[in-house]
Amino acid sequence: MKRAIRDMTIADRVLLVMLLALSLTGIFIVREAVPLTAEVIVEVDGRAVFTAPLDADKNVLLDSIHGKIGIEIKDRMVRINEAHCPNRLCMKEGWVSQGVIVCLPNKVVVFVGGRGNRLNKELDAVTG
Amino acid sequence: MSRRRRQPALFCFMLCSIFAMLFFLLPACSSNRPQTYQKSRALMDTFITITVAAGSGKEADNALETAFAVIEGFGKRIDFFSGDSELSRINSNAGIAGIRVSADTFDLIEKALYVADRSGGAFDPTIGPVVRLWDFHKKTRPSDTDIKRGLALVGYKQVVLDKQRSTVFLKKKGMLLDLGGIAKGYAADLAAESLKAGGIASGIVAIAGDIRAFGLRPDGTPWNIGIKNPRQERAGDEIIGSIRLSNRAVSTAGDYERYFIEDGRRYHHILDPSTGYPAGQCRSVSIITEKGVFTDGFDNAVFVLGPQKGMQLIREINRDFEMDGIIIDADGSVSETDRIKGTIKNEKSH
Repeated sequence: MKRAIRDMTIADRVLLVMLLALSLTGIFIVREAVPLTAEVIVEVDGRAVFTAPLDADKNVLLDSIHGKIGIEIKDRMVRINEAHCPNRLCMKEGWVSQGVIVCLPNKVVVFVGGRGNRLNKELDAVTG
Repeated sequence: MSRRRRQPALFCFMLCSIFAMLFFLLPACSSNRPQTYQKSRALMDTFITITVAAGSGKEADNALETAFAVIEGFGKRIDFFSGDSELSRINSNAGIAGIRVSADTFDLIEKALYVADRSGGAFDPTIGPVVRLWDFHKKTRPSDTDIKRGLALVGYKQVVLDKQRSTVFLKKKGMLLDLGGIAKGYAADLAAESLKAGGIASGIVAIAGDIRAFGLRPDGTPWNIGIKNPRQERAGDEIIGSIRLSNRAVSTAGDYERYFIEDGRRYHHILDPSTGYPAGQCRSVSIITEKGVFTDGFDNAVFVLGPQKGMQLIREINRDFEMDGIIIDADGSVSETDRIKGTIKNEKSH
């Protein structure tokens, strides 16, 4: 190994360094371009209280303002299956595969696919 | 191939590699290049998302948390349902005494009365006694008698403001101020000012459909805001158009937000203060102007007035300060002010 390095010309050594650097660059580029595994993040009053991969089926009960709130992950979709808020609109949302489920009375926000995962990537916000 | 003959090719390859690295790595390493950061919260009984362009996550996080705190504090002061809010104290002292309120609450009520006056009462912040009769989740439609009784307590001219003492007085006992039709836009304004004070040069505050945008996106273009389709049928037709905004606000009032259908008639939450029933001439109205408080207040007023009178009001206001609007009437026909003509792309789906 030492001999192989010693026999290298300067150009060979620079090339070696360059190739290493290019490999590292590749890692950065891939990390930027390809999203990590989709996640489910549950926030209560702005604090993240639960995070799980979207592709692992799971049922959890979390504490919220109006008692327990149930989150179910199944077949890469998420729903709120238990809530004790007055109108239970969050439960009526049903299964969501991408976007956000909100329970306003409980101040619970469920990000499906990760934070900032919007249905329309070209838009910065939607009015209406 | 000899080593000597191989070297020029190697140097060419190395040179290309250096350029490739500079191209990909330098922009990512530059700490001054702003990126967008986003946070969401459930506050003011709605879903709020703030997006900012900032040089670092820490800078963004500090400004975002401060802005959310501003919204939360303001929301508590004007909470209709909380017994100890400033708004509740005004309402519970109706016909009894004026209540001293904070500068923001006073300013909001003053602006709400301005919108009421300019719209001839099509927007009326004293509609509380009628609003409380309706429950759109439980599909509760009040009786005509109850609506009539409620309407007797509606009248923005019965609100007395004392600027020097910063007090608000409702003349008749039983009157109720309901700022739900204008407060979110005002909160978006407060949050935007807070972000600017925190050193953020550009961002968007989206309080439900009330959006205040300032500055430009990191790529130098205005923020791109979608307009919701009032008659969405499929997952793909949620948006019917988009507008580019910088240093402007936009709000949309729609008959699809809270509603129920009974005997083929749609009963929704935008009530006509003159009848106490949902206004029926529009599906949605989007208003664009500098301040969120006015987009939020005037979208309701224009919705109630209908396409013709509503567009007339926008033009009248536009003489005082720049205002644009998009009105989709009950049949799905679109009218827009000249400056934003062509905003609605797909006219078949709404």
